[in-house]
Amino acid sequence: MDPQLTSIIVPSEEIAKIEECLARLVEDTGSDYALLLDKSGQVISSKGDGDRQDITALGALIAGVFASSREVAKLLRERDFRASFQQGVRENIFIALIEEQWILCIIFNKGTHIGLVKVLTKKATDELAAVLERVRQQHKARDEVLGSAFRTSMEDTIDLLFRD
Amino acid sequence: MALINVAAREIHCKIVYYGPGMCGKTTNLQYIHSQVPKEVKGDLLSIATETERTLFFDFLPLDLGKVRGFQTRFHLYTVPGQVLYERTRVAVLNGADGVVFVADSHKGKMQENINSLRELAQNITRQNKRFADFPIVLQYNKRDLPPDVLAPVAMMDHFLGVNKMNWPRIEAIATKGVGVFETLRAISRVVISKL
Repeated sequence: MDPQLTSIIVPSEEIAKIEECLARLVEDTGSDYALLLDKSGQVISSKGDGDRQDITALGALIAGVFASSREVAKLLRERDFRASFQQGVRENIFIALIEEQWILCIIFNKGTHIGLVKVLTKKATDELAAVLERVRQQHKARDEVLGSAFRTSMEDTIDLLFRD
Repeated sequence: MALINVAAREIHCKIVYYGPGMCGKTTNLQYIHSQVPKEVKGDLLSIATETERTLFFDFLPLDLGKVRGFQTRFHLYTVPGQVLYERTRVAVLNGADGVVFVADSHKGKMQENINSLRELAQNITRQNKRFADFPIVLQYNKRDLPPDVLAPVAMMDHFLGVNKMNWPRIEAIATKGVGVFETLRAISRVVISKL
């Protein structure tokens, strides 16, 4: 596939739907945090208590864990591990895969039951899968965003910041 | 797989440093981290063994600031180079927009370079991307090796197929920072042109 076809552009209205879905998930489960990641580790959206400063690193690590577990699955001749659960003394993390593209991650403490998280996450992943499907269908926004003026400005910025 | 968030006006790109063990991938990231302005870089995150060999990846987020209203972020990763971590490299490569292939200029490392580049080609193809069109920049690292063990550039070009593939190629001494930013500029440009 041409790399030009692989950029994912998430328009404003779909981001709003994603945020709404994450906010509802946090509220209904009583979790601390929910975030949606691209499989490359980039944070698409996040909702929860407070302003986490470490969210970029968190995204990279969680996506790494998930990509790694996918390779484990292959060795076991399993198609994919759709979900994973990490249990700590205070905090727990539940991670679910949306199609092969996005990762939904919920951080919650012992006040929240894992069963509830699993059920409501399943519901959320269905909703988010529908968003992903719509995002994949639309391609027209790319040229509006990435015109030649953008590329030129970008090259200037690169030359300015990445100099010896 | 660049991600463009129109609501937040953000663009994210993932760049992976690939290559055989001990070729200098982590050194590249460490040098970039030590040189870029504070407001541009995040923390350098390394998942390494006790002997400082990369176990999973190094990760360096760079925030280029606003470009035509879009907050632009580059995420740099390295893969673990050692042969046994092949599956781990597949995991880190997931969703990459571009690759810097760091080759070791030691004559005795040529076969390792070739094997690693072949493996990269396989892994890119497995992601359903055409290797020939994929953004790649080659870095010939360790150009300060003693002349008796230093592989000539023409020889490396020949073995790594640079001429055929038309990849940008940069000579470097990552420990001293020579060629490190030139490489980063080159891969950034190729990635942007293919977004």
